[in-house]
Amino acid sequence: MSRSGTIATRRKGRPLAGPLRLANVVLMTAWLGVVPACADEALVTAQGANALAIVDLEAGSVVGQVAIDGAPAGIALSPDRRRAYVTRPEAPGIAVVDLAARTVTATLALPGGPLGIAVNPKSGAVYVADWYGSRIFVVSPDGATLETEIQVGASPSGIAVTPDGATILVANREGDSVSIVDAAKAMEVAKIPVGRHPFGITLDAAGARAYTANVTSNDVSVIDVAARSELGRVTTGERPYVIALAGPRGFVTDQYSGTVTVFNLQSLTNVAAIEVGDHPEGIAATRDGQSLVVANWGSNTLSLIDAQTLKVTREIPVPDGPRAFGDFLR
Amino acid sequence: MKFLALTTAAAFAVVSFGAQAHGPTRKKVEETVEINAAPDKVWAVISNFQDMSWLPPVAKTEGKGGNEIKATRTLTLKDGATVDEELYKYSAEKMSYSYRITKVDVKTLPVNDYSSTIKVEDAGGKTKVSWDGAFYRGYMNNDPPPELNDEASQKAVRGLYRTGLDALKAKVEKSGS
Repeated sequence: MSRSGTIATRRKGRPLAGPLRLANVVLMTAWLGVVPACADEALVTAQGANALAIVDLEAGSVVGQVAIDGAPAGIALSPDRRRAYVTRPEAPGIAVVDLAARTVTATLALPGGPLGIAVNPKSGAVYVADWYGSRIFVVSPDGATLETEIQVGASPSGIAVTPDGATILVANREGDSVSIVDAAKAMEVAKIPVGRHPFGITLDAAGARAYTANVTSNDVSVIDVAARSELGRVTTGERPYVIALAGPRGFVTDQYSGTVTVFNLQSLTNVAAIEVGDHPEGIAATRDGQSLVVANWGSNTLSLIDAQTLKVTREIPVPDGPRAFGDFLR
Repeated sequence: MKFLALTTAAAFAVVSFGAQAHGPTRKKVEETVEINAAPDKVWAVISNFQDMSWLPPVAKTEGKGGNEIKATRTLTLKDGATVDEELYKYSAEKMSYSYRITKVDVKTLPVNDYSSTIKVEDAGGKTKVSWDGAFYRGYMNNDPPPELNDEASQKAVRGLYRTGLDALKAKVEKSGS
């Protein structure tokens, strides 16, 4: 539960039903609470600066920058968390970054408008959404080869993969739907109608529920993945963008409101709105589940939020245009 | 007249926000001006959302809702073109407000999904006014024509802010502080 983002977690999840699932989530969170907090690193795509900024969250500062041209936006990490894959919508293509060496080790040109990106936690395959089209690209784990493409809905944006690597979920912004894709067959098997213009999509640790931020209906759709149906809606601020999960709550960046909407994952009620910076976009929970990290595109900062008190505890300046759209903490 | 004098005459559809795709990279522009006057005097000129008369291309401001959130206004430019806007943040205390364009012809301003904040701050006895905008280019898809690409939209917005802020400075300083 502690890690969220637009791709699935590394943690093994098993499908559970109903109340058991929630109990499991609560237990996991409680257990994680006793693990000492580790210094997380935020990997922030700075679109205006054409860079990937590496931020030490404990020190509260940018400790490294990797130059990446093409207006970097989306980010995903390899299953071992050693490599980052960054989309470059204006290149267009992706870049592969060795995070220890902090260098770009490969680039791959892709057609269309690569924006959303996720990695299969089992196979390491990289999925890239073509914003201008209705397809996702499947790229080899080394980021070097475009292997195939899969037809989905219109303007795919966020992508999430279940922990078992079997199912890919894609938010189709213009299609107002989520595509369920069989990863092995590389084929869409269902389309679930959601709110208007879903952008970010986030799975819980078990891969049981998915959440989409519906940009123009100002709400979150909650999806039962196994049932392939929408369970409910949560009202957000204006222009919700991305969702993170921490403990019993969901956190949604509201791009226009400049807030993070907090909602209860069980009751699906909106419980708070936290003021953050201008045009907040990417959001993710730290490994210990104690903090949320928000990238404020307009104000060029990260806001750190205490997951318990729901207060902003820190602002960290970052290079221009932070988007951090994807799995950007490690 | 347009908000700017860049775009070539061509038949572009009126854009209705929120219904279409847009390019993946939103742009931002900020322009500032220092005015030799007290902040409250500057704020007094721009604080009424229903009065955009300080912006040179604007001939008329009509709207409803005053300075309340979701207040609307329609700016009629001197050539007859209109821009519909909606207020989404307003703080007299912070001397700042934020609004978005809900409807504009890309011939008038080549942007989509445009939001903007104008802010007045004390600058050691003088006043700093910042005007920033966030938007996508005028053409919503891949391979934009030159007059609707990223550069054109940024240039247009930058030009608009520059015109507005310089006129504001002239107006306030001329009236004496």
